[in-house]
Amino acid sequence: MKKLIVCTALCIIAISSKAQSKVFKEVSEDISSEMKIITQDEALVGYLVFTQLEKASEDSFNYKITLMDENLNDIGTVNFREEKLDLEAVSFEQDVLCLAYLKSNINGKEFKNKKDYTSFEAKNFIFTQFLTLNGKIIKTNATKIHLTGAGYEPWAYTRGKFTYYSGLKHHIQLKNISQKGFTCYYGDADGCDLVTYDLAGKELWRKNIDNEKAYSLLTSKGDIYMLQKVGGQYAEGGYNLLSFNAEDGKAYDKVVLNDKQGNALKILSFANDPVTGTPYLSGSIIDKNKGNNTGNGKQLAKGPYSGVFVMDIKGHSKNDIKQTFTYWNDGSQKPAISKSGYMSETKSYAVMSSSFRDYYGNTYFTGSEFIKKPKVGAIVASIICFPLITVTPIILATTGTTKCKVTDVALMKLNTKGVLSFESEIPCTDSKFIRGNFPLDGFFGERSFYGVDNADTKANYMIVDDSKDVMIYSVNQKKVVRTVSHKDGKIRTYIFPAKEGHIMVVENNKKEKYTRLSIEALN
Amino acid sequence: MKTTLSGISGLVIFFSCITGNLTAQNRQLYAYQDLSKFSFAKQKDSIKKNWVCPELYKDKATQKKYREIWDGRTDFITSAIEANNYVNDGDIYNYINQIITELTKANPTLLKQKQLLLIDRSASVNAYAIGGNVIAVNLGLITFAQSREEIALVVAHELSHNILNHPENSMKERAVWLTSDEYKNSLNAVLDSKYERFSKLTKVIEGFTFSRSKHSRYHESEADSLAIVMLKNSNIAFDPEVFLRLDSTDNEYKQPLKNETKNYLSSYSIPLEDWWFAKRSKGLSSRNYNFKDTTTLNDSLKTHPDCVERYRKTQSMATAKGRLTPVNAAIKEKANKMLIWNIYDNMDLTACLYRVFLEKDKGNTDPWYDFMEHNIFAGLYYSNKQLNRFNAIGIRPKEYISKNYYELQNMLEQIPAENLEQLYKSATNQNFWAGMSPETKGLKMLMTAINFESDDSEKKKYNAAKEFIDNNPTSMYCEFADHFKK
Repeated sequence: MKKLIVCTALCIIAISSKAQSKVFKEVSEDISSEMKIITQDEALVGYLVFTQLEKASEDSFNYKITLMDENLNDIGTVNFREEKLDLEAVSFEQDVLCLAYLKSNINGKEFKNKKDYTSFEAKNFIFTQFLTLNGKIIKTNATKIHLTGAGYEPWAYTRGKFTYYSGLKHHIQLKNISQKGFTCYYGDADGCDLVTYDLAGKELWRKNIDNEKAYSLLTSKGDIYMLQKVGGQYAEGGYNLLSFNAEDGKAYDKVVLNDKQGNALKILSFANDPVTGTPYLSGSIIDKNKGNNTGNGKQLAKGPYSGVFVMDIKGHSKNDIKQTFTYWNDGSQKPAISKSGYMSETKSYAVMSSSFRDYYGNTYFTGSEFIKKPKVGAIVASIICFPLITVTPIILATTGTTKCKVTDVALMKLNTKGVLSFESEIPCTDSKFIRGNFPLDGFFGERSFYGVDNADTKANYMIVDDSKDVMIYSVNQKKVVRTVSHKDGKIRTYIFPAKEGHIMVVENNKKEKYTRLSIEALN
Repeated sequence: MKTTLSGISGLVIFFSCITGNLTAQNRQLYAYQDLSKFSFAKQKDSIKKNWVCPELYKDKATQKKYREIWDGRTDFITSAIEANNYVNDGDIYNYINQIITELTKANPTLLKQKQLLLIDRSASVNAYAIGGNVIAVNLGLITFAQSREEIALVVAHELSHNILNHPENSMKERAVWLTSDEYKNSLNAVLDSKYERFSKLTKVIEGFTFSRSKHSRYHESEADSLAIVMLKNSNIAFDPEVFLRLDSTDNEYKQPLKNETKNYLSSYSIPLEDWWFAKRSKGLSSRNYNFKDTTTLNDSLKTHPDCVERYRKTQSMATAKGRLTPVNAAIKEKANKMLIWNIYDNMDLTACLYRVFLEKDKGNTDPWYDFMEHNIFAGLYYSNKQLNRFNAIGIRPKEYISKNYYELQNMLEQIPAENLEQLYKSATNQNFWAGMSPETKGLKMLMTAINFESDDSEKKKYNAAKEFIDNNPTSMYCEFADHFKK
């Protein structure tokens, strides 16, 4: 006696004849979907699926937006028609969603020949769309841009067709401004822009920003901050801090980020303090002599980093920044940490690659450890062969005399008083030994770190996603509370960030042919 | 003498009641072998053998399509029987079957053939007919119904579908439509289009669905009319107000509890933190969104007339009020317990626990509900270990649930693992266990073995499950053990 729903009819109809299968197949080939997370104040608040349903006319498409809450429950859908869109970012503030797209009538377009392509009038825009939680599109804005070819002809010739591929120099970054609206940053072939919008989608102001290497955007209360990476002496350094008033776009003084001796800084974290909501920066202090020598294990063991730092940004001038620099290259951390960064507790070195702040003002630094050992065989061989003028140098140049391998993960804590301590070691899968003069980047890159925190319980967790397992480390309990194997028989498990205090667990069972998704609390 | 005899009789009756009550508490709801895989095995085989698709169409394509749809129906029912969607428990089955018998006796020209009745274990308030003289009645309908006459109306309605050959006619219509030139041309037109292919295909399908829905609504009205005739012939009262109540069948979890949610867990002697019950998400779930309900069908696509319309159409045929018979209380309670167990076995734990609390609100002190609370906490603990707590809880959006349900859902989601373990362990030590049956205690041991065995291997779980099944071969809880034996 219950109501049927349309999809049942669709399923019934999908009992297929060949002609029917062909129709469904061809129509489905035109459909493409992508999922984006919706963020507010750096927290995940929901999910959005952006679907291109079909080509509506020569230059327009029909799209569908499906909104889901943080538990993946459907909230609603919105349908609209527009030119070709690529969704780049979604943010949320005061019951308004802001979606930022790249709108282009040429990107990905195929041309029969080069003449058609060169004579085509390209129209590219940054397209912002504002949506209420009643499913209404209240405003859209389109700003003309020029896509960059990034130094090569932006087309590819395959299967007898020319296809245009290009993109933005700096991808769109979109953030909400608490109580006020949104800010968006992007860079095209002409330059970089920072734009703000109010909650009705009206553009408030726009600023042209220097076209530097990279930017990272952050909002905090009524202000907008940008971490600017410029070229410089040190590959991992060269950062400045820009800040703007969100109301009127007034630019505050640029702050060059270095320590009191002018040493460059490697930024690992640029975020808001979870308690005060004010921005902070943390990372490694680059050694002025060895700071560029990070290419291999041998170089890393010589101490390209001289310490760690934290900066609490309480205002807009350098004087308003509370800076804490803690060094080990001056021997002040011995015996725990040697001048070159060797940790006695773990008998290894560590390359810090991530940092976060807990609810008590402590800043943590985490990164993979590596050990360096002599290659006894090579050393012996080179000594034996020493009388032979050519052989020993060959041995030393090719095989080298040291070997390195990446081991566990180290966690260090810098407390509110600037005291640095070794906090914990998280067991991970060791890499194999490689020559000391080979890069370790590949092994470091196999691991990723991210934090999960819970504002109510003031708990912090660090997720270490290693090649074999995912370790969930409780900062408060100082131990690994859970280890999830990536592969367990035919089941593959992946862990992703989810809503506050939670992780998303995706389990794929190849044998039973199902994928199970779950959002689990870490408490 | 008379007084003494009546006094003794009274005592005998009194003690019988107590013993009977205790027996009822310990008597299981049904045997494992009452599940459809076993109890309807013969009927399933008979359906497979005897449901042969008739040769109706000269056109080969149409006949082929018709056979596909026909076989699809056969597969649906035989798979459902195999999957234990139905149960033949005796009491409920006989209660519903009695209604069918009354209707059959009073309407011999309409109901010429014996109907195969299936009691569907689903909680949804529904019944359905699939043709071939098969009718299914959900446990959810029995717990929802306020009178025997309401159930009779629904049963008569479904029987009417079978009598009027509605399922068979629908299958024929589908086969004809899906192989018609009109449909093929519509699909080709979609392929020939350069633009808006998805929209055009959707229109083709909606057009078919609109036409089908129009027929369905007509079928439903026909079935309503015939059902009322059958009830009148059987001297079973008809109250059209049941149609108005049908609109509220999706609101079972909107019903509030009588007390604070926390109070229902006070017997477990563990401190309950307020924040477990509160929603702390920054997420969209806590916002007041108001999209046009995309799950609501356009009127043109609905397969049933609106409940109000059904009420208005049949109002004039109402039988005089006051002739309604309440559903047998024991039947209703049994149906509710069976439904709760089924919800539990399908791991929808918040719904299960909420239904238990609703029963306790009625003053029901049957320790079986305490037993189910233990099972729920055990299931939640296990799911948490498997990183599957989220799915086991079954989070529902706030607009479909009461404030109490929302709090309970939050609590089950947010209770820290170590507190969950305390809650579960506390449930294993409650006083009610003293009066429980050996099979329920056996199930408790099985759950303990699965949850707390130091060796978490599949083999250990298998052995524990096998031991339970070997010791309690007819227990309904073997269904649970089966998950681990597989």
